[in-house]
Amino acid sequence: MNTWWLSNQILIQSTFISLLLALSIQVPLRAGVFSFAGIGSYAIGAYTAAILTIRYQVPGIVAIGAGVLLAAAIGYLLALLVARLSGLYLGMATISFALFLGVLATNGGDLTGGATGLFGAISTVTTEHVIAATVVVVVLLAASERGAFGRKVDAVREDPQLAVSLGVDVIRVRRVVFVVSGALGACAGGMNSLLRTTVSPETIGFHLVVTALTMIIVGGALSWAGAAIGAVIFTWLPTVLQSVGEWQLLVYGLLVAIAAVYVPNGLLGLLQTGWRRLRRRGRRIPAEGAAAPTGVVVQEDPESELAALGGPTTEARP
Amino acid sequence: MTTTERRGTAPDPAAPTTVLQTIDVAVHYGGIKAVDGIDMSLETGRILGILGPNGSGKSTLLGAITRLVPLTRGRVLLDGEDYGRTPPARLAHRGIARTFQTVRLLPDLPVLGNIQLGADLRLDRASRWRELVRRSVPESVTEAIERTGVGDVLDLLPGELSYGTARRVEIARALASRPRVLMLDEPTAGMNQPERLEVAGLLRKLRDEGLTQLLVEHDVQMMVDTCDRLLAMNQGKHVAEGAPADVVRDPAVQEAYLGKRWNRAADQ
Repeated sequence: MNTWWLSNQILIQSTFISLLLALSIQVPLRAGVFSFAGIGSYAIGAYTAAILTIRYQVPGIVAIGAGVLLAAAIGYLLALLVARLSGLYLGMATISFALFLGVLATNGGDLTGGATGLFGAISTVTTEHVIAATVVVVVLLAASERGAFGRKVDAVREDPQLAVSLGVDVIRVRRVVFVVSGALGACAGGMNSLLRTTVSPETIGFHLVVTALTMIIVGGALSWAGAAIGAVIFTWLPTVLQSVGEWQLLVYGLLVAIAAVYVPNGLLGLLQTGWRRLRRRGRRIPAEGAAAPTGVVVQEDPESELAALGGPTTEARP
Repeated sequence: MTTTERRGTAPDPAAPTTVLQTIDVAVHYGGIKAVDGIDMSLETGRILGILGPNGSGKSTLLGAITRLVPLTRGRVLLDGEDYGRTPPARLAHRGIARTFQTVRLLPDLPVLGNIQLGADLRLDRASRWRELVRRSVPESVTEAIERTGVGDVLDLLPGELSYGTARRVEIARALASRPRVLMLDEPTAGMNQPERLEVAGLLRKLRDEGLTQLLVEHDVQMMVDTCDRLLAMNQGKHVAEGAPADVVRDPAVQEAYLGKRWNRAADQ
């Protein structure tokens, strides 16, 4: 285990950083916002952390935190700017935001190190820090997918007008989504810079858009777990596919095409559908004789009368 | 009982007050006058029906009242106060709930979750957390489920429901917010006759408990059976208004688009 851990450090780090990056796209998508602002935020986080550690000897975690705050603030401003855009137009606008930051980095002179970038961003940030940060993020996002907040986001994505009629402030949800996406992207970027001790315009390029989107499409866009599945697959696939050499790209392309056409909700969607079917099959057999309530999960809750409800209504129906 | 307390102004049937009013409301799309100068008032504890054939502007009027469709002209008042500039999402918080003409349930959420969506705006922070930990369901949700009789499909996805059941789930979602005013856009479309009667009975029962309702339908029998007052529309304009039996007997209403056979419906 220990040797495996040591010899795969870089891949392990990449997995978690990729996951954070993918989440910065997945969070807006979950709210129906087709935004790649998280990629631009990755650049902001990457450069902020590197500049602060190299030029001002700021401790690594503070430098990353500064990048996160900056990107969150810029995310909010961006949300105001693109408030009227949606769909493909929003996607294009936010991609150009990322590309614009790339140009800015290339032409930033001494501050950004121009086309060669910055080197020597030495800090105390370790793999454990990355994992801890990712775990915190995932726990928060997993909670946000459940309960009232999860339903609110689902409603904003599926039917914004319905959401409004149910009292959801759709505009506010969209702004929050931009802020969260900015923070996640910047966190990923900052950690990447400090772990690799370097950042350059090349590392914040358009390929990140493709990487993040690929992970989400194959893994599943509607939950953090989909992004996690995608991050693991696409970080480790190159190692697995070393034997096929140049054919790797073809395998990638096929995977994405198959997922997009046949598994629109990603691998996670497949797993969830399978799980639902299994659960239902298991339940149907005992439910036939008894007038048992159909699996309402609240039976032990004293506040809920649902358990009692299921019985009479089942009987009342012909 | 908590229901009537939450709905606030428990109405004295002798002296209903106007809760919602429209003054000269118009919605125009370019040259098309979908709604053109409708005056309407909704009194507490009553069911007002808006009757009219397809395309007469009923649903657009409902959209204008719920601020989902921008007004071209006119004013909308809630408790005598103009809410024409209130953000539409605030209306739900002020006790207005609605259903739509088509089924609009979230496809990936089980029925229970869809109904809970209606109640979510009334949840305080503590109950939000409690739901995450203990999966508790607010009383208003269980009550709405009981009322609409959807207790045996809570676990299903909307795609697995019959059309009539899906519509009842929508009513349950609207009821779960414990509204002061409930607006229903063709709630019985796609239902069979027993189901329609069941829904009509439910609406009347809710009315008796003090829930004010605005009902948009083109099923005349249902309207006559359910409503306290009818407003007939055609081509965006006001045609007739009054007691249901009088409105459906009104020659203008009949000859314009109902046909004479509805005399029988009025006589029953």
